[in-house]
Amino acid sequence: MNPRFRRYFFLISVVAFFGVFAWGLHDLPPFGHYRGPYGDILNHVAVYERHATDVVTAVNFDYRGFDTLGEESILFMSVIGTSLLLRPQKKETDNNDGKADNSLQRDLDESERRRAPAASDAARVLTLALVGPLIVFGWYIVTHGQLTPGGGFQGGVILATPPLLVYLAGDLKTFKRITRQEWVEAIEGAGIFGFVLVGLLGLFVGGAFLQNLLPLGQTGSVISAGTVALLNIATGLAVSGGFVQLIYVFLEQTLEVKLRVQGGK
Amino acid sequence: MSLSSIVAHITALPVATPLGTAAVLAALNKFLPRRMADTLAILATLVTLFTETLLLYSVRSQPFVYWYGGWAPRSGAALGICFVIDPLSCALAMLISVLVLVAFVFSLRYFDSIGTMFHVLVLGFLAAMSGFAFTGDLFNLFVFFELMSASAFALCGYKNEETTAQQGALNFAITNTIGAFLVLCGIAMLYSRTGALNMAQIGRALGQQSDATVITAFVFLLVGFYVKAAIFPFHFWLADAHAVAPTPVCILLSGIMVQLGVYAVARVYWAIMAGPFAAHRGALMSLLLVIGTITSLLGAIMCFGQRHLKRLLAFSTISHTGLLVIGFALLDPHALSGVALYVAGHGLVKASLFIGAGILLHRYGSVDELELRGRAQRHHFSGIVFLLGALGLAGVPPNLTFLGEHAIDHAATLVHQDWIPVIFAFSGAITSAAVLRVYGRVYLGWGDRESLRTGKQIPEERETAGPHHRIPAVMILPAFLMVIAALGLTLTPKLRRAAETGAFTMADTAAYQSRVLDGAHLPNTFAPPGQTALTPTLISTSCAIVFGLLLAAWSLSPLWPKQDVIVRPFKLVMGGLRSLHSGHVGDYVAFLTLGAAAIGIVLGLLIRRFGM
Repeated sequence: MNPRFRRYFFLISVVAFFGVFAWGLHDLPPFGHYRGPYGDILNHVAVYERHATDVVTAVNFDYRGFDTLGEESILFMSVIGTSLLLRPQKKETDNNDGKADNSLQRDLDESERRRAPAASDAARVLTLALVGPLIVFGWYIVTHGQLTPGGGFQGGVILATPPLLVYLAGDLKTFKRITRQEWVEAIEGAGIFGFVLVGLLGLFVGGAFLQNLLPLGQTGSVISAGTVALLNIATGLAVSGGFVQLIYVFLEQTLEVKLRVQGGK
Repeated sequence: MSLSSIVAHITALPVATPLGTAAVLAALNKFLPRRMADTLAILATLVTLFTETLLLYSVRSQPFVYWYGGWAPRSGAALGICFVIDPLSCALAMLISVLVLVAFVFSLRYFDSIGTMFHVLVLGFLAAMSGFAFTGDLFNLFVFFELMSASAFALCGYKNEETTAQQGALNFAITNTIGAFLVLCGIAMLYSRTGALNMAQIGRALGQQSDATVITAFVFLLVGFYVKAAIFPFHFWLADAHAVAPTPVCILLSGIMVQLGVYAVARVYWAIMAGPFAAHRGALMSLLLVIGTITSLLGAIMCFGQRHLKRLLAFSTISHTGLLVIGFALLDPHALSGVALYVAGHGLVKASLFIGAGILLHRYGSVDELELRGRAQRHHFSGIVFLLGALGLAGVPPNLTFLGEHAIDHAATLVHQDWIPVIFAFSGAITSAAVLRVYGRVYLGWGDRESLRTGKQIPEERETAGPHHRIPAVMILPAFLMVIAALGLTLTPKLRRAAETGAFTMADTAAYQSRVLDGAHLPNTFAPPGQTALTPTLISTSCAIVFGLLLAAWSLSPLWPKQDVIVRPFKLVMGGLRSLHSGHVGDYVAFLTLGAAAIGIVLGLLIRRFGM
């Protein structure tokens, strides 16, 4: 198909597709007329049964906790897959193969020519000053999932930002040190393994996989809702490790080049 | 305590074991030696397989439902997620584990240098497929669908040195992500309609009523899952992905992942849609029969036209998956038992054929049929895989595929669709002819190098380093075991009855719903006894293998028409078909959109004609 034909062909298909979609939607219940039992039941029982004031978290990490294990694993597999696809290729790591078009060398020359200005003092101070508060804030979100909106996924993403801020501040050596692959991978794996382990705990005491058998604690206190808090911490570890690894593999190439340029100065 | 109540405790292991092991392997990526990673991965797969065997044994008389977190439904409303353990889902999960085991064993000598990432992704793939087979929750089905995709996309682009590998993986990722989006749309529509995500609960809430929302939701689920199953016109990604994926990944994609798309639609139909479509069975049947037939014929014709071995086998998979859709389209438990047997037979045979191709790539550094001509003459032994594989594709008894086809043929005669054996014979003949032709050219040195001017040569990078003069046992042995299993399992007594029991249990919608929602302990549903004539299937499969042999012999003989004397219309048709498979993902997406719209419109019109 040539591009022009493809465009018209696609347009016609899309119009037909949305015709079918619209036909399907017109029998939907009107907006705001929720029919199902699921939401109503849970809103009534979740706080009482689980001692969690955030019903969304109670659903995600208890009633439907098994889905969350799957979702966490989707993130995990995507990160592993991305690092697999972006791994340095043979021709980039072999420096002694005698080829003239060594891509790392080319990138080096390129970045020598248009070297970006170093981070300004304002950027350095601001970003580095944010690192500490963000770590505290991230852990706050992770550990308060059962009380307020948030939890392992959201907190984990926040926890992954401090290394990125270090990178933005231009402190590449520190960035490389705190994103050491052995550690990042260990944190990520520990998060997934921890989730599975908490699930298996239920089996050892004679219940079902992911059964919440810990004491539920006082509703509204940080230590409440039983395994929900543990699962949130596991998810927080997996998500933060995963995102740091993602940032690392995307920046790896640039980082090598920049570190060499810095070293050569 | 009954056996099943003890076994029930390990229901989570087929998902938890591979995921937990994957986490350990990822965490220790830099520290674990290669052999240690191999051992752990194989152990995890064995534990999974063993668990599933126990589960199958415990449900031979009665299925059970396992509620995660212990959240059993209250007054018919499911709060949590359940696994429905019935004979068919256990058998399917066992096939998945066997193929993953084969993939791991094969890769022991296959990749000379990998970290643990390959193991991690394959274990994730295993967990996803097992969960997909067992789950009784529609949203959970989607989660495992996505997990399956996330690991498969990356595995497909494993050879990141080649741009073609990235292209193939990208086509796979884009088309399948659109499929996943459609599945999610369908789930949202059903949720807004019923307020439930549990399949049994949705099914009970809908009852017999079908309106535009329910029909469209089913169309979206059907299209989304059939993108994964590579059904026309959503099949385009499959050949591109198989051509670039490493051989152990091809085993999993072709052997089982594609068939899981067909399984998902069957599961959704019998658990949810059997009621709403009770009045529209005719409409659905005609639509699916047409789609399945086109897929099967197109796949077979494209298969014969390939010279790249992995592409050839990929198109054969498309053709056989089309046959599975024809089997499901009859919407009959007998046919469903045939589909199950066919999936097992085809999975084993196709996996060993891909190993055969992988061995050629390992030994001779090529999967190009013409380039390999006569080069494997000293390795007759490994060629037997291709011979037996061709028999399996044609459905020659005593292959499992024969048993499967027999059950489908039987169901087809009951609804007066007597032409179905002809389609099976045609697809079997063409695909087995293509494999036999490869055998003749590569292992016997027949035919000349120039006669097959079909398709341009696609270079394939070696997957293992250095020249290899011997074929490792871990490569050839699994292939032999699988083709022999495909033959030998047929001789197991009562296999046919067991498959029928599984299918009838899966298709018993009312029993399924009360098991899940009311906690009822209901035994399996047994098929009514009765003998059926083998004759139509015997005729069909013997035609298939005879025509397959003749076609293969003709294509290798000097009588095969040269390029310049081929009749013009034939050339035009083949050229047209080939140009459809352009490799441009924009084309694929356009066809996907048109296909989804067309299925919706046609099904709507058919339902209106048959009476709403």
